[in-house]
Amino acid sequence: MIMIDKLAYSSPWRYKSVYMKSALASGNLLICVAVRSFTVSIITLAVMGYLTVRYSQASLSRYVRMMMWPFAFLIMGTIAVLFDISARPDGILNIPLGGSFAVITSYSLVYALRLILVSLASVACLYFLVLTTPVPELTGLLKRLHCPWLIIELMTMIYRFIFVLLDSALTITKAQRCRLGNRDFRTSVRSMGTMLAALLVQSLHRASLLYDAMESRCFDGKILLISESRGGEKGDAAAVALYLALMLAIGVACWKKGGL
Amino acid sequence: MKPMVVTEDLRYTYEDGTEALRGITVKIKRGEKVAVMGANGSGKSTFFHHLNGLLKPTAGRVLIEGEPVDYSRKGLLKVRKKVGFVFQNPDDQLFSASVRQEISFGALNLGLSEEEAVRRVEGIMEALNITPFAHKPVHLLSGGQKKQVAIADILVMEPELIILDEPTAALDSRHTRIIDGIVDSLRDRGITVLLSTHSSERALLWADRIIVFDRGLVAAEGAPEEIFSDHELLKRANLEKPAVLRIFEILEREGVLKEGLKRPRGVDELEAYIKERNR
Repeated sequence: MIMIDKLAYSSPWRYKSVYMKSALASGNLLICVAVRSFTVSIITLAVMGYLTVRYSQASLSRYVRMMMWPFAFLIMGTIAVLFDISARPDGILNIPLGGSFAVITSYSLVYALRLILVSLASVACLYFLVLTTPVPELTGLLKRLHCPWLIIELMTMIYRFIFVLLDSALTITKAQRCRLGNRDFRTSVRSMGTMLAALLVQSLHRASLLYDAMESRCFDGKILLISESRGGEKGDAAAVALYLALMLAIGVACWKKGGL
Repeated sequence: MKPMVVTEDLRYTYEDGTEALRGITVKIKRGEKVAVMGANGSGKSTFFHHLNGLLKPTAGRVLIEGEPVDYSRKGLLKVRKKVGFVFQNPDDQLFSASVRQEISFGALNLGLSEEEAVRRVEGIMEALNITPFAHKPVHLLSGGQKKQVAIADILVMEPELIILDEPTAALDSRHTRIIDGIVDSLRDRGITVLLSTHSSERALLWADRIIVFDRGLVAAEGAPEEIFSDHELLKRANLEKPAVLRIFEILEREGVLKEGLKRPRGVDELEAYIKERNR
């Protein structure tokens, strides 16, 4: 979380237009999910992977490690898709289960593989966006897209207070360790509990102080902020449009061939 | 001209029964630089919260430019346009991760157009030297930098009175100098400044007037030279006499300096006296 944030702020593409970056990421994501094709997914993985490693501060090894994060969820999801329950052992792999069989058919195998690839490609699109774009830019974009202001305000505050509270949590934890608060498992658990309790009290207190501070700046129920997003360069926009059109064309072709 | 702020027998009792203010009557003139001093828990912050309408007095009243504060939503907005309040801990005040957006909040709340707000934000960032780190997210700024942003937050609203609650608490000497410099420049902007500090040296050098709080009451008020020569008061309110005054008194007593000199405000003035004598 913190690492992603730091990488986004130090990305060489930080100042590229958020419109361009989000159009690229979300456009590609939509095409990927819509056509569910092997080819499109592999191209997406390659292109997004290349762009992310090249234009964010994430190294290749870190990027590969980050790609592993969603794997646990993916495996869970694909197991359900991979196996079918059948009365006869007519799959590639058949596991007897009482009277019937849990089978993997060639169809379900292809389906599961495709699911994994499409998911990874989608994750790559999102990583590209979050690793090159700081959060305030994204909230600015949502505002332009007329997202309800309540959601934007919550995002703004939550994002800021993740760091404030994390800082408090780390300080308390350090202070506890100084006094051997992690001597053994039992004390560690107890320390963690008291830390969380203190953090809750602190956040309530902080929230009321923050509200006072906002009130004293004439806050009147709606958070007004200037927007910071810049327009993109024409060249970039054209490149993004061209790329998306190309992907769409490939996608449609693959889709007609049955999702190759 | 009507005084900027007047409080009349201001009293405030917290829900738990603590009597934080027990009858504060003070007057702050327009353009004045006033330092509020006193021990922790003597009521300074509670007093400040009243001037901005964040707290409503249990008894007594607050007048801003001769008008009693109206505690309706509209009345409070009016007060807060005139009186800006910089919180002691910037982390309690800064809510946006983006420096520009953070500073723009107050300006837009005044009803300014976005272009005007952007113009003011850029101007204040330039004036307070924030521009060099404005691209960083707030959570990666140092304590001193956050403080600069917190002050810009308020200055962008162009208040007539600015209140700073211990502006240099917990800052290193470089950032203390930066913040002190900003505070010094406020008078040139025609802003009345009220701040609390524990630094006697700073109060002596900077303030036109010092108000000393002691357990919810005004123990004394007056010019810094007067306040710091009242030994009984200093003892009662637990205030430290500035070193420059102590040295001045020693030099006077030991006959190094002739009697009847005006008490120096800072080391520079004292140095001038000594140079004068040696000439």
